[in-house]
Amino acid sequence: MLKPKIICVTGGKGGTGKTLVAVNLAIMFKNRGYKVLLIDGDVENPNTFLLLNAKLKNKKKVLYFLPKIIEDKCTKCGLCAENCETHALLYIKDSYPIPISTVCSGCKLCYKICPTNAIEPDLKVIGWTYTASAFNIDLFLGELKPAEARSAVIVNKLMENLEKVIKTEPEKYDIVILDTAPGAHCDVEELINGADLVIPVTEPTRFGKLDLLRIVELIDLLKKEHKAIVNRSSLLGYKEKFLKELEEKHIEILGDIPLDEEIVSSYCKGIPLMDERSKFDRDGAGYKSFEKIFENLLKWGDFSK
Amino acid sequence: MVIVGIPTFGNKGLNDVMNNRFGRCASFTFVAIENNEIVEVRSVANDAQGAMGGAGIQAAQIIGNNGATEVIVGNLGPNASNSLNALNIKIYQAQGGSLTVKELIDLRLSGKLQVLTSSNVGAHAGMGGGMGGGRGGGMGGGRGRQF
Repeated sequence: MLKPKIICVTGGKGGTGKTLVAVNLAIMFKNRGYKVLLIDGDVENPNTFLLLNAKLKNKKKVLYFLPKIIEDKCTKCGLCAENCETHALLYIKDSYPIPISTVCSGCKLCYKICPTNAIEPDLKVIGWTYTASAFNIDLFLGELKPAEARSAVIVNKLMENLEKVIKTEPEKYDIVILDTAPGAHCDVEELINGADLVIPVTEPTRFGKLDLLRIVELIDLLKKEHKAIVNRSSLLGYKEKFLKELEEKHIEILGDIPLDEEIVSSYCKGIPLMDERSKFDRDGAGYKSFEKIFENLLKWGDFSK
Repeated sequence: MVIVGIPTFGNKGLNDVMNNRFGRCASFTFVAIENNEIVEVRSVANDAQGAMGGAGIQAAQIIGNNGATEVIVGNLGPNASNSLNALNIKIYQAQGGSLTVKELIDLRLSGKLQVLTSSNVGAHAGMGGGMGGGRGGGMGGGRGRQF
């Protein structure tokens, strides 16, 4: 196998159990002897490391370009401002251009086209990436600096790091699991786009359904295969009605996870429910449902090593 | 001489009504004042009106390129406010939609306008048509967060 199989766990709505599913899928693949990398792409609230009780290491700054005007070299020609797509350079005739950092996209065009090299990169830290290892799973995690807006840059960095690993050590991982942020925005899009299979996680509520439909629309746009997981499926007894509604929308289901105290307990302890050495009840409703989901997943994709 | 820029609807000069939108107003009316007397009035179309993004910044550029050192605005977004502040342009706040340029200049000259130091609406508040007047009065300028 030259390239790892990449599975993206997403879901539109927040708090549906994306991270729970991503972590336990990673663990189940590991249990079967696969080499697994988990990538936490929810850079505004990265928390996979909590579920894995992992210690973050290799903190690396993610830098972002902003133009810095070197006044000694600037001829006040205005070419940079004229060509700036986001109008991040404020230019009044016969004065130095003023960078407006909040709208700068970091494209570096101004830096490249300045005829007198009067623009230098003013690099700014907008977040960090980390790596970690726990339960024989490797973890890449990104963190956006609070009050910074460009989360997609951090997600890009994580995917770049993944590409580097695939290029230099193609056999290092058999499976890569991508855990996304809620929503259907560009960060999520980038991760879905990088995956072979997509698993949206939802819950049987009106919010869950609406957000699932939105994320499925995005996944369809990106022409990716998907099967959903319904978490908290025993909630209020809506399961059958909800599954029927999904069927009517032609959304296929990989399985469902009922409410289960063992899941909550695994959460609090930082020990994944499905770890082979965990002391959770093998006959518990949560445990059994994850086993079934994994069986269905193995049937769905080609996971030959 | 002081030049005041005011977002407006057309080119009726002193009789034009102030537009509450800044980045996406139809025109700016510039009024030059010397010794408390109006000495010149000019209307300039706002090329940024239909911009995809960054209208506030481009509008501030128009203000700066026409030599204005003061503006009177209704609603002001964060990018516009950052840009005007970067250009050291003094911002006065008034309620648009009914007051004319002439009335606003009189208020400015009698010291009855409040100074605004930061934005008073969110980004893209002025997008889409038909906002009309009646918004944003009495929002208390001068104590907002500096970006």
